[in-house]
Amino acid sequence: MTQRSLRTASRASIGCARVKMASSFWKGVVGVGLFALAHAAFSAAQHRSYMRLTEKENETLPIDVSCNQLQDTDHLESHACVVFLDTASLVLCFQIVLQTLLAFVITCYGIVHISGEFKDMDASSELKNKTFDTLRNHPSFYLFNHRGRVLFRAPEQEPSTPSAQALPSNPLRLRKLENYH
Amino acid sequence: ILSIPELFLLYRFTNYMRDKLRKWREENYRNSEQIVDVGEELINEHASKLGDDIWIIYEQVMIAALDCSRDDLAWSCLQELKRQFPDSHRVKRLAGMRLEALERYEDANKLYDSILQDDPTNTAARKRKISILRAQGKSSEAIRELNEYLEQFVGDQEAWHELSELYINEHDYAKAAFCLEELMMTNPHNHLYCEQYAEVKYTQGGLENLELARKYFAQALKLNNRNMRALFGLYMSASHIAASPKVSAKVKKDNVKYAAWATSQISRAYQMAGRGKKENKCSVKAVEEMLESMQITMS
Repeated sequence: MTQRSLRTASRASIGCARVKMASSFWKGVVGVGLFALAHAAFSAAQHRSYMRLTEKENETLPIDVSCNQLQDTDHLESHACVVFLDTASLVLCFQIVLQTLLAFVITCYGIVHISGEFKDMDASSELKNKTFDTLRNHPSFYLFNHRGRVLFRAPEQEPSTPSAQALPSNPLRLRKLENYH
Repeated sequence: ILSIPELFLLYRFTNYMRDKLRKWREENYRNSEQIVDVGEELINEHASKLGDDIWIIYEQVMIAALDCSRDDLAWSCLQELKRQFPDSHRVKRLAGMRLEALERYEDANKLYDSILQDDPTNTAARKRKISILRAQGKSSEAIRELNEYLEQFVGDQEAWHELSELYINEHDYAKAAFCLEELMMTNPHNHLYCEQYAEVKYTQGGLENLELARKYFAQALKLNNRNMRALFGLYMSASHIAASPKVSAKVKKDNVKYAAWATSQISRAYQMAGRGKKENKCSVKAVEEMLESMQITMS
């Protein structure tokens, strides 16, 4: 029994293995995308706290200098500092935004591939392969008084069934079988 | 006992077979021999890997075993289920099904009555009682009981289809058509119900029924253009209408056109199916001869 199952298993598992390997690649993609998203969020938070710190420094500059004559030049200096910090932080901002968007797209793409097969929008298309063979079977109404009861009976069981449920109709069915042979 | 790669393969096999069993269960396949084969092996040897799925597999294998006259397997599955779910109505119903398979209909009826006493809304037990009536050959009582059941549970698709089958067996085509209309209303995208309704209308006969049949065959084809039975049905109904003496010339011409279209579609379908095979020419010729022989001649 186990040998036969091993043979079927090796045939079946080739198909399964291919599907499984493909799905673990997409799972990796989703993982990478989520990690990149988290990384972008973390760096955005860090950047924001950094911006808050440097802006505070800029604001404290004119407050520290109480002298009015020095205010203009200090303003110019602080403006220059602010301008210099702005370009660097702008680039960083842009980079973080880009990373967020890319990570989001990669995660979405990966999830679409993991989430299994899509169904057609057309409701009738999934029925294209359905046949009456399966449509006519109503499991709640299955009858068991069909010829399968006799056809599938093992040959040793036929002559002497010691079960107490030997019914009067059984000999009739056996006689019908004998007429066949 | 098994090496690592063999264990790995066995795990894959269990999953593969479990998915196959689920597909057969969900799509109402009645391939009982296969189910017994696969299910018995899974239960006996890989029970630990199945987890909680094993109970529903026990149920599926038990019903298949009753089909294949494997009473020993059915009894052991039932015992396992009884041990796990001692007071369950579902397991009692399975015990009743086993009694039905052994033709002990009175005992089965008593069991179902006890279920219904506990729970009057249990639909499964009522349906089994109707099946017992059908198995005993009492079709009119079965039809009456099924009608009463459908008055209470109007949405039960299975029951409507079963009732239509019962009416067809009794040759009461008008009522069968009514049941199929109910099914078509709730499943407008299902081409098989359209086609079965058209077949019933065609069987009833008469000009209006034939026209209706032709329309519903066309509808079935619109929903699924690969439905060969609907194509043949369209051909037959259109030919019938065209050959009838009571129709006007325009209707006759239209129906001849429909029949010709159906013929071309049939020939094309057979040609496509047979391409690449050696006997294609012979089978295509056979189809043409068959279509010619199916021409309705006025008697």
